[in-house]
Amino acid sequence: MESITSFLNTIADTDTDSGSSNADTGQFPLMPLGQACDMGHAPDGTPLIDPRIFNSPEFFRNPYPYYRIMRDHYPVFFDKLHNCYYVTRYDDITTCYFDDEGFNTIPKGSSSGVLGNTQLELSGVEHRRRRNLYGQHLVGKSLDNRMHAIESIAKEMIDDWDTLDESIVQDSNGVRTIDIARAFANEFPIRVVCDVLGFPKESRKNFYFWYNSMMSGLGGSETHHIGLEARQHLEDYVETLVEERRVRPTYLYDAAGNPSGKDIISKLCETQIDGDYLSTEEITSNIALVVGGGGETTRGAILNMWYLLLQHPNQFQAVSEDETLWDAVFHETLRNSSPIGGQPRHNSFDIELHGVKIPAGSLINMVDFSANHDDRIFNDPEGFNIFRPDLYSGKLLRSGYRKEGKCSHMAFGVGPHLCPGAWISHQEAVIGSKILWRYLKNPRINVAKMPKDIDGQSLAPIGLMSVKNLWIDYDLN
Amino acid sequence: MSTTETTRTVSGTGTSQPATAAATPKITYGRNGVPITPGGVKGHGFRTYEVHQRERLGESTAKIKAGQLISPEFVRNPYPFLEILRENYPAYRDWLENSYWITQYNDVTSIFTDDANFETRPKRWFYGIESYGRDLRQELPVLFAQAKGIDDNAAAVAEEIIADFSGNGRANLAIDFAGRYALELLARVLDLPKADIGLFSQRYWRMQRGFNWEPNAEQDGLAAIRELTEYFRPLLAARRANPGSDLISAVAMLDADGGETTAEDLVITLLEQDHETLHGALSNMLFLLLTHPEQLDRVMAERRLVKFAYLETLRHSTPVLSARRFARHEVERFGKLIPEGGMMICSAAAANRDPRQYKDPDVFVVGRKDLCQREPRGQYRADGLPAGIAFGLGAPTKHPAVPEDRPRSLYAITRDTATTAASILLDSLPNLRLQAGAKPELRSLRLWEMHTCWNLPVEFDAR
Repeated sequence: MESITSFLNTIADTDTDSGSSNADTGQFPLMPLGQACDMGHAPDGTPLIDPRIFNSPEFFRNPYPYYRIMRDHYPVFFDKLHNCYYVTRYDDITTCYFDDEGFNTIPKGSSSGVLGNTQLELSGVEHRRRRNLYGQHLVGKSLDNRMHAIESIAKEMIDDWDTLDESIVQDSNGVRTIDIARAFANEFPIRVVCDVLGFPKESRKNFYFWYNSMMSGLGGSETHHIGLEARQHLEDYVETLVEERRVRPTYLYDAAGNPSGKDIISKLCETQIDGDYLSTEEITSNIALVVGGGGETTRGAILNMWYLLLQHPNQFQAVSEDETLWDAVFHETLRNSSPIGGQPRHNSFDIELHGVKIPAGSLINMVDFSANHDDRIFNDPEGFNIFRPDLYSGKLLRSGYRKEGKCSHMAFGVGPHLCPGAWISHQEAVIGSKILWRYLKNPRINVAKMPKDIDGQSLAPIGLMSVKNLWIDYDLN
Repeated sequence: MSTTETTRTVSGTGTSQPATAAATPKITYGRNGVPITPGGVKGHGFRTYEVHQRERLGESTAKIKAGQLISPEFVRNPYPFLEILRENYPAYRDWLENSYWITQYNDVTSIFTDDANFETRPKRWFYGIESYGRDLRQELPVLFAQAKGIDDNAAAVAEEIIADFSGNGRANLAIDFAGRYALELLARVLDLPKADIGLFSQRYWRMQRGFNWEPNAEQDGLAAIRELTEYFRPLLAARRANPGSDLISAVAMLDADGGETTAEDLVITLLEQDHETLHGALSNMLFLLLTHPEQLDRVMAERRLVKFAYLETLRHSTPVLSARRFARHEVERFGKLIPEGGMMICSAAAANRDPRQYKDPDVFVVGRKDLCQREPRGQYRADGLPAGIAFGLGAPTKHPAVPEDRPRSLYAITRDTATTAASILLDSLPNLRLQAGAKPELRSLRLWEMHTCWNLPVEFDAR
């Protein structure tokens, strides 16, 4: 039967060279920003999504066109290669985030080895109880008390710029060229966290190191063991500190130098639940979470704010004339280019969403990136506009804000798991930026020194996460 | 106090210690290009020992990258990667593909036979067409018709196919014989008109490849399912009016729960089976024999060894590399808490080369002494010996003793069929040898597809 053999031969030949199950080979073409590459079409014209795209450089460079395809054609996308589902529309994601019972956070998730047993992985009552214990120290009056410290840390870091080496700062003809990432943004949030938690200044360097190690060990990567070790060292250190402070609590001081209350660790040492003190293990694992969660995100926010703002001179001008606009810059940046992509959830029950049946226990990626660019919610979502009328940028509410045509962005999530560091990170980014703005005269991006995109053409785009380095020129006099 | 001292001593033997890392500074760069070499901070012995323990449990997996398990190298030859998993991370948590890799023999068989805690999802679940038709594979008339169809036609089909190329003096056995044989035998079991066999085979093949992750293949597969349904609809009606002894007639006359059988049921029944073990095993067996001439000589000298060659092939180079099972509920296995819905990739390829079960597992030995030659399903050990694990033939037999009113297991039928076909081939092609200079190899055409030989050029004395 001739046709069987020729058919099989065709199959064997056409697939010979594809060996193509990996996208590391760059088999997906790099597209102009905003355009998705062609991965085939269904008979009815629906664009298909090849799951290998999620591992490809093209996707890491700019995932938004692919999320647009998902929002428009696959509100629930089943990725069989990675065994997970993607939920991409704003409305669906908010609904799921509020349903803490139907959509579990993931116990023993990918971070658990590194961050330990944290509230990130708890649900329901237990989550609420733990979260309130820790979260209360990061908001309201406790936070107001730390504002002056945040300011002085920023000033202190800027004062150090003169001593930085040439790979970070270069002066010539009254113009200073500086990498804001390494000179400021990378370390600033860590120093703030150290201060708020009440760690001695000497431990900062270690903390910065531990933080970086832990971050690189997330997600079961091959550097996982480095993260695990760093966490052990952090834990050992914090353990000693906690034991000390159980006996001798330490205090924080206000701007005038008067004690303004105990620091978080000392407070946690005194905290009781049902007559029991918190265990040292409980305290340390949550400190690990605060150290891990407070760094990367705020760093990204600051860098993305400056990167976007400097590319929109009119808006920068407006901010220069009215300092209160920094809040709007912060929120619009997080909407336009959030440093955090989304959150994983497990569904507790079999559910059907947009006609797709999802068996209980499936991994569902809630793509915050995509929600923030959902044109069902935000007009012209790709554009950066701090005067955006449809974005709520007022006081942060755990419930999100959806009123009078305004919606809050999803960078912090909504609902019971709303980022507990949202308020402090807001203050860090805004205060830090205001102070930077006072120092940086006529700042502009140094295009020549900026890391190039993979195609060598444009600046590093803000896609996933944040710019790695941000080279800025400013006038010294 | 003394406890601390003891654990400190133990930690000294651990794998990755800051102390040793400091002695040979190796700079690793983390996020933002920050060097993350441990910097002079030493942990207490107990804590570091805990890290060591985690390493041991496979929570830390420095020896493999998840991306390697979907790389082109893995598609070509998965065995080196599977060995790393089996010997270091017996229940590897793959965060990239959101799954667990089960690679040791005893672990694989324990998951594969544990229907209380794990389930196999049918192919139509992956297709998202669960309500399309019924799976009639377990209906006795269907099983009998299939067994009879295969037994009656196995030899005749082999002879016909061989006759087509035996005059040429050369052939590509992987496709001209193995690939064609599995499909034509199936067409014969269905008793299809000769003129339709080519088109049927193509549609059947497209349907079988489409349930995987590749979206274009999925669309193609769905189209093939619809085309096959329309093709079978009149055929089913005709056989219902005028039944024969073939598989379609058996389906047509079946008194199944839920009403009269339809063309959809027939297509789903075919979808949930596959041809891969017959096609792949025949192809791999010929490949292994031809590349191990001393084994081929033994088989030629003593023809009863063909059956053992088949069994050893399924152990040494199984065409269906793994089966995916899903946890029915949260369950603890291998020191890990497997969440409900957790996907277990039970790797037959890794388990079949487990040195805990087989001596020199990478060597191809026909009739090896430590391989069970009787009940070849993995979960039963008739001789107290492990069998090669082969997937892809539907549900495993539940009990080695087959009751009177059931046909032999499909596994046994396939084994006998492959043995028959291979024996006829060896008899018909005198002086069979690889073409000079040919370098055949095993590979999958696409990730997760069958691992088999696609090009096996041979020469023989033409008749």
